Amino acid sequence: MLACRQLSKTYRTERGDVDAVVELDLEVEAGCYAAIIGRSGSGKSSLMAMIGGLSRPSGGTVTIDGTDIWRLGDDALARFRNGRIGFVFQFASLLPTLRLVDNVALPAMLGGARSSASTYDKASALLARMGLRDRVDAYPSEVSAGEQRRAAIARALINDPVLLLADEPTSDLDEQTEIEIMDELMGVNRELGTTLVLVTHNLALAEQAEQIVHIANGVLVA
Amino acid sequence: MRGLLANLALQNLGRRKARTLLLIAAVAVGSGALFAGATLMSSIERSMAVGFTRMGADLMVVPDGALTNITAALLTVEPTDLVLDADLVDKASLTSVGRSAPQKIARVEHSGIGSHHDSVDLIGFDPARDFTIQPWLVEKLNRGLQAGDVILGAGRDAPLGSQLLIFGKPHVVYGRLGRTGVGTHERGVFMASATLEALAGAIQGYGKPMPVLQPGKVTGFLIELAPGATSLQARFAILSTLQGVKVVSGDTTLSGIRQGLTSLLDGILVLMIVMLASTALMVSVLFSAIVTERRGELGLLKAIGARRAQVLGMMMVEAMLATGIGGALGVALGVLVMRLYERSLVYNLDRLGVPFVWDDLARTVAFAAGAVVLSVLVGALGVLYPAWRASRRDAYDLVRGEA
Repeated sequence: MLACRQLSKTYRTERGDVDAVVELDLEVEAGCYAAIIGRSGSGKSSLMAMIGGLSRPSGGTVTIDGTDIWRLGDDALARFRNGRIGFVFQFASLLPTLRLVDNVALPAMLGGARSSASTYDKASALLARMGLRDRVDAYPSEVSAGEQRRAAIARALINDPVLLLADEPTSDLDEQTEIEIMDELMGVNRELGTTLVLVTHNLALAEQAEQIVHIANGVLVA
Repeated sequence: MRGLLANLALQNLGRRKARTLLLIAAVAVGSGALFAGATLMSSIERSMAVGFTRMGADLMVVPDGALTNITAALLTVEPTDLVLDADLVDKASLTSVGRSAPQKIARVEHSGIGSHHDSVDLIGFDPARDFTIQPWLVEKLNRGLQAGDVILGAGRDAPLGSQLLIFGKPHVVYGRLGRTGVGTHERGVFMASATLEALAGAIQGYGKPMPVLQPGKVTGFLIELAPGATSLQARFAILSTLQGVKVVSGDTTLSGIRQGLTSLLDGILVLMIVMLASTALMVSVLFSAIVTERRGELGLLKAIGARRAQVLGMMMVEAMLATGIGGALGVALGVLVMRLYERSLVYNLDRLGVPFVWDDLARTVAFAAGAVVLSVLVGALGVLYPAWRASRRDAYDLVRGEA
């Protein structure tokens, strides 16, 4: 389902080039829950950004469901991200001027495939699934960090993605909320069959994954 | 989708109210200055068109040998038996000559105007080329000048639209001129050259034939200099090109004022264009800062599938909304400025008898619409580069907030 071949990322800095990911090969089966672990600066977020079509690799390929995503043009890649990949970031990633329901509906509205009414129905249903039925009309600043993260998961699911990428989605949450958020993510993986790739430095979370990818200095360790 | 992005753009403007209000205020000042400036400039130009032509011509070309005793403004030629060809100046194509207005004048008695032996100057002119008679019209019928119409100098009295018999032929009083202090002008009876030529037979029945009444013949030409040309240059060019003519100069001070004020208006126009460009630069700098501040959000939008055009469009809608509102407020500001102008300077000019002609409503509305459209364009151009740069960046760089 997901295949990376000879994937590399080099950042050019004033002090010279920095290799974040070096000729990395990786495969993740459809419906699998994979965890990418490593210390800070190991290159795991750079790897996820390349997998998600957010950061152009310096070399190598990323293939999702048979599509070599970095061979797509800008607009085609944007459409691919919109329709096939869901993102949950490590920060509160909701647009502050939109209500939760607008935030969740936004990717579908950007894609333009569905009518506004059905998009909003689905957005409300997803928020309800995440336990936010009564917070649909609230603005991000009016809900807790945990609720914001749940809304972000709902947004990631609005276009029925085949791949859900979560980049340290619980790093700034308390332990109880972290458990709840992880339950939601794994529930999506189990119940909807969505492939889940989680980037974390929390070994306890990684141990629940079916596949663990350990990176150090941009290189696959195990 | 457009509604959601427009809503997002509107909400973004509301997030930093002070900054948005300052941007709107800056654009409003620019737009107001542009609108008021353009309207006033256009009005001043129109007023100049009236006011300066009222000052008369720069030069007068008459037959060599014609007696001239002109000390005031050059508004009409003087009666003489000598004539020139009507196309004489046109055929010469002199670059120092801007406009030329041919006139023919016949001093007659027994015309039926005034007492029996009063001499009357009948002055024929080309309405399409005239610039010294019609600007002095202070009242006229609500239609264009037609064959058989006459315009009376300020020293003659007859109601508008009334019938006036000249050598027994009926004419309609079309309009009346203001006071000029120039005798010929104040006592004259003006008409289109063709109307005067139609009287030739009747006039000759009372005296000797007048060559000037023949078609294709004129008494002389009133000349306006081309922009930048001097009286001396034009005089030299005319005398060296045309045979059998004499050139009479008007007041050179008036020519200087006319040309100087035209240059001043051109300078104001350049200043307005510079001001507009600086506003566009300011908007660009401001939106560069806004884009930098919001790169995380823009990155997020790209991550969830916003295409480059959508990111670009959202930023442009935001900028165009702000500058458009500023532009509209600027028009209101401009109207206030013009009201103040009207109550002060225009009022005083009016009291002094100096004409100030406001632009008509349609042109003023067009200037207002133009100011708003230009403000919107300034916003679009100002945001274009920073938004285009942001739209080209990798979503991940934007999400991480990298500069």
